[in-house]
Amino acid sequence: MTHPVPESRLVTPDLHCAHLRHKGMYVLSTPDPGEAAHAGRWDATAYWCTRTQKASGPDGNAANAACCVAGNGRNCCH
Amino acid sequence: MADETARAEAEGQVAEVAAPATANPNSPYAWPKESRLLSTRVNRIDGTLKVAGKAKYSYDMQRPGMLYARILRSPHPHARVVSVDLGPARAMRGVKAALTIVQPGAKVMYVGDEVAAVAATSEDIARDAIRAITVRYEVLPFLATVEQALRPEAPAVFEGGNVKESQVEEEGNLQAGFAAAAHIVEQAYNTQVQTHVSLETHGCVCEWDGDKLTAWASTQAVHGTREGFATSLEIPQANVRVITEHMGGGFGSKFGPDVQGVTCAKLAREAKAPVHLLLDRREEHLASGNRPSAYARIKAGVSADGMLTAFDGETWGTGGAGAASGFPLPYIYAFPNRRRVHKDVYINAGQQRAMRAPGHPQGCFITEMLMDELADRVKMDPIEFRIRNLPPQAPNAMWREYFKIGAQRFGWDKRHATGDQAPGPIKRGMGCAANRWGGGGRGTQAQCEILPDGGVVMRCGTQDLGVGTRTLMAIITAETLGLPVSAIKVELGDSNLPFSGGSGGSTTAPAVSPAIRVTASKALQELAGRVAPALGVPADQITASDGRVHVKGDPSRGLSWADACRRLQTTPISVNGQWEAGLSASGTSGVQFAEVEVDVETGVAKVSRILCVQDCGLVVNQLAAESQCIGAMIMGVGYALYEDRILDRNTATMVNPNMEWYLVPGMSDVPAIDIMLMNQPERGVIGIGEPPTISTAAAIANAVANAIGVRVRSIPITPQKVLAALDGERAGGTL
Repeated sequence: MTHPVPESRLVTPDLHCAHLRHKGMYVLSTPDPGEAAHAGRWDATAYWCTRTQKASGPDGNAANAACCVAGNGRNCCH
Repeated sequence: MADETARAEAEGQVAEVAAPATANPNSPYAWPKESRLLSTRVNRIDGTLKVAGKAKYSYDMQRPGMLYARILRSPHPHARVVSVDLGPARAMRGVKAALTIVQPGAKVMYVGDEVAAVAATSEDIARDAIRAITVRYEVLPFLATVEQALRPEAPAVFEGGNVKESQVEEEGNLQAGFAAAAHIVEQAYNTQVQTHVSLETHGCVCEWDGDKLTAWASTQAVHGTREGFATSLEIPQANVRVITEHMGGGFGSKFGPDVQGVTCAKLAREAKAPVHLLLDRREEHLASGNRPSAYARIKAGVSADGMLTAFDGETWGTGGAGAASGFPLPYIYAFPNRRRVHKDVYINAGQQRAMRAPGHPQGCFITEMLMDELADRVKMDPIEFRIRNLPPQAPNAMWREYFKIGAQRFGWDKRHATGDQAPGPIKRGMGCAANRWGGGGRGTQAQCEILPDGGVVMRCGTQDLGVGTRTLMAIITAETLGLPVSAIKVELGDSNLPFSGGSGGSTTAPAVSPAIRVTASKALQELAGRVAPALGVPADQITASDGRVHVKGDPSRGLSWADACRRLQTTPISVNGQWEAGLSASGTSGVQFAEVEVDVETGVAKVSRILCVQDCGLVVNQLAAESQCIGAMIMGVGYALYEDRILDRNTATMVNPNMEWYLVPGMSDVPAIDIMLMNQPERGVIGIGEPPTISTAAAIANAVANAIGVRVRSIPITPQKVLAALDGERAGGTL
């Protein structure tokens, strides 16, 4: 059997810290095309860091897809 | 339907609802055209266990030598931890382990943020011990309210600013849209912060066996939580097992080990003993997530003939300390010209997490209130007005039909114009609202065993959050194998079982159901292969029904299930299968109607009845699907009238972190509930956990306005708000 591939459009292994998580990374969904068209660009994603299990990283700054990226100068990123 | 689509396109509406995925009738595993169990009312197979109190939740786990842990939480909304001295706690009799969660130099961001923890031989000792921990804080400026955070002079509490503004989202020509409007409404709306209030709190019991960890966790994702433990503890995933036999709800807030889970595992490792760490109700309110608040200033236009022309919205909200607060707006209805800008406002409060249909109840409330106000202006019935402005009808966009059949069932024709003119203080009114949701899943794997003694075991590493997933697995297996539900043993809620994704986004039923159908079908094919020689037909000519394995079309030519299985002699059939496309889909629609009674002398509003018209594709278990609707609507009643996380504006401390002052509906607050479940078997299975909670509050709020003739544009609709609104400017009548 092929193993299902998680598809997070928000967190990618090449760009983001390996410790960054959000709920969508654990839920395997199939999109509703109507919902996708309707949704616009709103964002209610709640992120957390696996090293702290909190919404902030070990350096105390926010953990999210905008901050936890390669080249951001944070020494906690992997 | 075609006519409506053509009319909508002629009127310039965008057909935003594309053709959804539907079930594939040619799938070798296609759902049966005539089902024996599917779409019927099947009692939960674990119902007796639960009613008898024998179901073991994570909270109930008792392990030999088990310790109890508690977490020390910050009393400050924003502070830097200078030092933590665990010594006094460690010195206490009965304390077996202690650790710091926040290291000196790091900050706590809200009252209730985790600082340290201890494990002791009793919960009382653990509570005493965390009080003995000495923590020195450098108290920092903080923000307790959205208003404080938005002030120009507000202290810079959050890295990058207290406010994160999104890009402007714009479509069409706003100026032309307002120029085409005969009426313009400009109003402000808001929704509160709501907490999840799962009956079973967050947490787990952790036990180490050498370097292997077993966690009995209250989680919506046993496999995801295994990954979370392993990553956080830096141990191999293969050394972690997560078990969730029964669960008391999560509503989106339980998708990993969490702070308390990792803390529990670390304490257990240090103490060399199992540790029980489940949060209390106060901790739940403070630190385990919430639905963000929403504020909106809207300007919207409508033409003289009742067509929406323009929408200009400025919105904001708070998801707590550094967390997002977005929501879809406008919701469902087609504004050809629109602009919207949103701000995430950060305050020093517990962060939001996904909560049952994230964003949708907020967007629905604001838009549906606005729709009634616009209908007022053109003096049009709210349902007629909505139908004019809905996207074209499609299998995942059935609102036009549902509004019509719902209105008839609900007695909408008896709705009076806004403002009940009946004598006396009790005013009655009706309101309505629509919802949409995705609800498509994938990726689940399963294993089916058919045993020589006739037993059947279906295994899947999904989890039952209390919604009936265990029963769903039994129904589909029994339907496929032609057996009674009671003949099926179901195993789930264990990361050692075949992979399944987390239960969120209403994806469980559409992810699990196809996997079970495929796996049971494959197991039956193997059994058919074993009995084919005895029946003298090829295996593909054999099926099962009514407890027999027989030639297709001739039930008399076959064997009883028991006799067929005896031919397996000593070796069971064991088959693995997985989700396949064509048995499930995505995209639901629904509408709700509410009737309320409002006492204009006391301001108390009470919901007397609600009608829910809702689809979810193929209904697997009518009873469980209706239960989802009932629970969702009760949650919606709480959102509309009662629930509110209240922070003291001077201390940022939650003043109602319990179930006495954080009000959830009690039995006497639950209205009469009527459900029209719209079965769409041709679409396959779609989830229903989320959509029925989306539009309840909006329908109730519109009903309150219809009752008292004044619009309360802020939820929860408390008596104070009702009385204040009655003292304010009256909205116009809707007819």
